[in-house]
Amino acid sequence: MSNNVKSDLLLECRGIDKNYNGPQVLSKVDFSLRRGEIHALVGENGAGKSTLIKIVTGITNRNAGTIVFDGHDVPVEHNKNASEKLGIAVIYQELSLIHGMTVAQNIFLTKEPLMPGLPFIDIKKMNAMAQEMIEKYGFDLKATDIIDRLPIAQRQTVEILKALSNKASLMIMDEPTSSLTAKESERLFKIIRMLKAEGITVVYISHRMEEVYDLSDRVTVLRDGKLVSVLEGEEITPAEIIRLMIGRELTEDESHHKMVDKRDREVVLEVKNLSAEGKLNNVSFKLHKGEVLGFGGLVGSGRTELMRAIYGIDAFDAGEITYLGKSYSPTVEKSIASGFGFVPEERRLQGIMGGISITGNIGIANLDSISSPAGFVSRDKELERTQTAISTLNIKPANPDHLVGNLSGGNQQKVVVGKWLIRDLKLLIVDEPTVGVDIGAKEEMYQTIDRLSREGVAVMVVSSDLPELTRLSDRIIVLRKGRIIKEFTEGVVTEEEVLRAASGIVEGGAK
Amino acid sequence: MSVSAIRRLILTGLLIAIGIALSIANPTFLKLDNLMTMLQEASLTGIVAIGFTLILITAGIDMSIGAVIAITSMICVNFISYTQLPAYIYIPVALAAGCAIGWVNGFFITHFKLPEFIVTLATRGILAGLALIIAVKDEQGFVKNVFIEDPVFLSFGETVGPVYIVTIVFILLAIATQFFMKRTRAGTNIYASGANPTAARLSGINVDRTLIGVYMFSGFCAALSSIFLAARMMTAMPEFGIGNELDVIASVVIGGTPFTGGIGDIWGTIIGTLFIALIKNGILKLGLSPYIQPIVIGGIIIVTVVADVWYKHHAEKKATQAARRKAMESKEVGA
Repeated sequence: MSNNVKSDLLLECRGIDKNYNGPQVLSKVDFSLRRGEIHALVGENGAGKSTLIKIVTGITNRNAGTIVFDGHDVPVEHNKNASEKLGIAVIYQELSLIHGMTVAQNIFLTKEPLMPGLPFIDIKKMNAMAQEMIEKYGFDLKATDIIDRLPIAQRQTVEILKALSNKASLMIMDEPTSSLTAKESERLFKIIRMLKAEGITVVYISHRMEEVYDLSDRVTVLRDGKLVSVLEGEEITPAEIIRLMIGRELTEDESHHKMVDKRDREVVLEVKNLSAEGKLNNVSFKLHKGEVLGFGGLVGSGRTELMRAIYGIDAFDAGEITYLGKSYSPTVEKSIASGFGFVPEERRLQGIMGGISITGNIGIANLDSISSPAGFVSRDKELERTQTAISTLNIKPANPDHLVGNLSGGNQQKVVVGKWLIRDLKLLIVDEPTVGVDIGAKEEMYQTIDRLSREGVAVMVVSSDLPELTRLSDRIIVLRKGRIIKEFTEGVVTEEEVLRAASGIVEGGAK
Repeated sequence: MSVSAIRRLILTGLLIAIGIALSIANPTFLKLDNLMTMLQEASLTGIVAIGFTLILITAGIDMSIGAVIAITSMICVNFISYTQLPAYIYIPVALAAGCAIGWVNGFFITHFKLPEFIVTLATRGILAGLALIIAVKDEQGFVKNVFIEDPVFLSFGETVGPVYIVTIVFILLAIATQFFMKRTRAGTNIYASGANPTAARLSGINVDRTLIGVYMFSGFCAALSSIFLAARMMTAMPEFGIGNELDVIASVVIGGTPFTGGIGDIWGTIIGTLFIALIKNGILKLGLSPYIQPIVIGGIIIVTVVADVWYKHHAEKKATQAARRKAMESKEVGA
C-alpha cells in the first residue's frame, strides 16, 4: 500500500537459525521491518512465529544469523533488557502488569518521577503525566484506576502506554484480539493505526485472517520454520495467505480425507441449544454410534468449553443433553460411570500424575472396578488392567512401575487414553490428541481412534492441527465465538475450507 | 470505599467495642498502667509484624522470626557475661546478626529457588538449637539465668513520660516503613515482586535482590524486638520468641495483608497488632486462663481468613458475571 515509505529498514534479520537441542525450529529465516509499517507475521501453530519474536526480543538466543536494529548490530547474546533499551516492546495480554497497582504506577514502574533532590516518588506528578498520555491518545482510562478492575481490553491499552513511555519504536503484539470483543478489537485497530501515524512500527501476530487483511502493510508468512513469502499491497488477500500458510500442494489422500456419513446410526449423544454465558451460544448437534466427530475452530472459539460442559466439569446455563435416549445432566462421576472417557487438552496439568507409576495412573480412573466392596484396591486386578492397556496401546517401556513423568509425550498420552480403554467405553472425548507427541506415536494414536470407532465407540475430537482433524473425522463441526458456524458432512473437506470457516470467511470474501 | 478501608473501620469499631466491654467488666482495664503495658506488649509483637508484613507482600513467609529473637538475646547475654564491651557496640552487632540471618534466608530462597517455608523452617530449627548451645551455662551445664545489669541496655525498657520507649520506636518504625513502601521506588518494587514476579522482572526490577532485602529487614525487626524484650525482662532466655510466630502472623493477617502477595500495608498491621494485644489482655482481665490465649487467636485467624476468602470469591463472581454480560452484548452487536 505504501511503497513510497523511506526505504531504510528498522529491523533486518538475515539467515536466522534456531534449534532447541534437537529439531530445527527456524532455518535461514529473513525478516525485515520498515519504519512505521504495520507488519503481520502469520503461520500455522508451530511454524516458528513465537520463536522468531523471542529471538528479536532477546528472550532466547539465535544459533546463527545477523540482526540489525536501527542501524546497530544486535549481538547473539541479546537479552530482554537490552532489547527494551533499543526500543523494542512486546504487548502481552496482561502478563506484565502488576495487580493491585494503579494505571500510573504500572506505566512508570521503575522509572517513577521523583521529588526534586529526594528519593521519594512524586505521586501527583506521576498521575498527571499518566493522565496526559491517556488523554493524548484518547483512551478510556483514568490514571488512578486500579488494574484489577479494568477489563482486558483496557489493560492492553495500559501495556501500550507503558511501551510508549519507554520510547519504543517497535511494538510486537501477539494475538492481541484473542480475548477482545468485536467492538474492543475495532478500538485496538484504531490505536494501532494511530501508532503507525506516529512512526512506530507494529508487528502483528494473528490467526484471524480478516484482521491481517484489513490492517497490514506487509505480511510475512512462515511455514515449518522457513520463510515462505512476504506479501505486500494488492497481494494481501485472505485466501492467498491461507494458501501460503498451508503451503505444500496437498496430495489426494493426505488432505482430502473422505468423510463418512454415519448419521443413520443410533444416536449416542444429543446436545440441544447448549449455552454458557460468555462461552457457548446455542450449540446443538447429534453424535452417532461409531462416529468420529471433529471440532474445528480457533483457540478461544469454545471447543474445549463445549467438551468440558458435556463431560460435567463446567456448568452451563441453558440447553439439554440426551445420552442414549435419556435426559442427562452431567457430572464427572456420572460421566465416568456411564461410559465416557475424557482426554484433556493439557496433559501435564490435567491428564497425568507425573510422579506416579503407569499402574497408578490407570488405576485411578478405574477404582470402581478394581476395588472390593469394602473399598480395598486389588493390586492384582489393577496390574492386570494395566498390562492390557500397555499391550493394546503399545506403551513403551512396557513396565507398569515406570513413572509416567519420565515417559515421552506420546507414551504419556497413551497412558491417558489407556485409562479409559480398559472400561466399557461408549463415548470418548479427545481434546488435542497429539500436542507434543512425536510422529510415530501420532500415527498410533490415529489408529487407536479409528479402531475404537470401528468397535462402536462414539468419539469427539478437538484439534487445531488441521491435517489431523480432516484425517480423523467422519464429520466436522466448526465453532466460532461459541457458535456452530459451519458443518462439513460429506464428500471431501480440505484444510483450507476448515481454516476459512474458523476465521469467519464465509464463501470466499472477507467478512 | 475500598475493601481495606471498610475492613479497617470494622476492626477499629471492634477494638473500641471490646475496650468498652472490658472496662465495664473490669475497671482496672482502663488504668493508664494497664493500657501502657498492653501497648508495650503490642509494640514488641508489632515491630516483628512490620517486617513480616513486607514478607507477606512478597508472597513469602518467614518462620524463623521467633528463633531470631532467641538467638539475638543469647548473643547479647554472651557479650554481657564474657566481655566488657559497652552496649552501643554489642547491640548493633546483635542487630547485624538479625540482618545476616535474613540474608541467608533470602539467599537460599532466591539463589537455589527453594520454597520460603522450608528454608525459614530449617533456619528456625538451626537457630533455636544454636541459641541453646550458646546460652550461658552454670557449672553443671544448665542454662543460667543471666541478670542484665548494664544500665544502657536496661534503658531500652524505660518509659518517656508514661509511654514505653518500645512503643515510640514501634510507631516511628511503622510510619517510616509505610512511607518507604508507598513513596519510594524500592517500596514499589517490593509490591511488584510480590504481585507478579515475572512481570516485575520484565519491567527491569531485580526481584532476587528485592527479596533478599525484605528478608534482611524481617531479621532486623525480629532482632530489634528481641533487645526490647530482654531489656524489659532484665534477663534473656533461649526460649525467647519461640512460638511468637502465632501472634505475629495473626496480627498481620487480621490487618488485611493476605498470603497471596502484592497487597497489604503497615496501617492494617498496626490495627491487627492492637487487636491481638487487646484480646490477650482481655482474657487476663476477665480472669480467664492464659492458656486459652492461643486457642482464641487461632480461632480469630480462621474466622478472618474464611471471611476474606468468602468475600473475594463473592466479589470475583460478580465481576466476571458483569464482564461476561458486557462481552456478550457487544458480541451480539458485532456479529
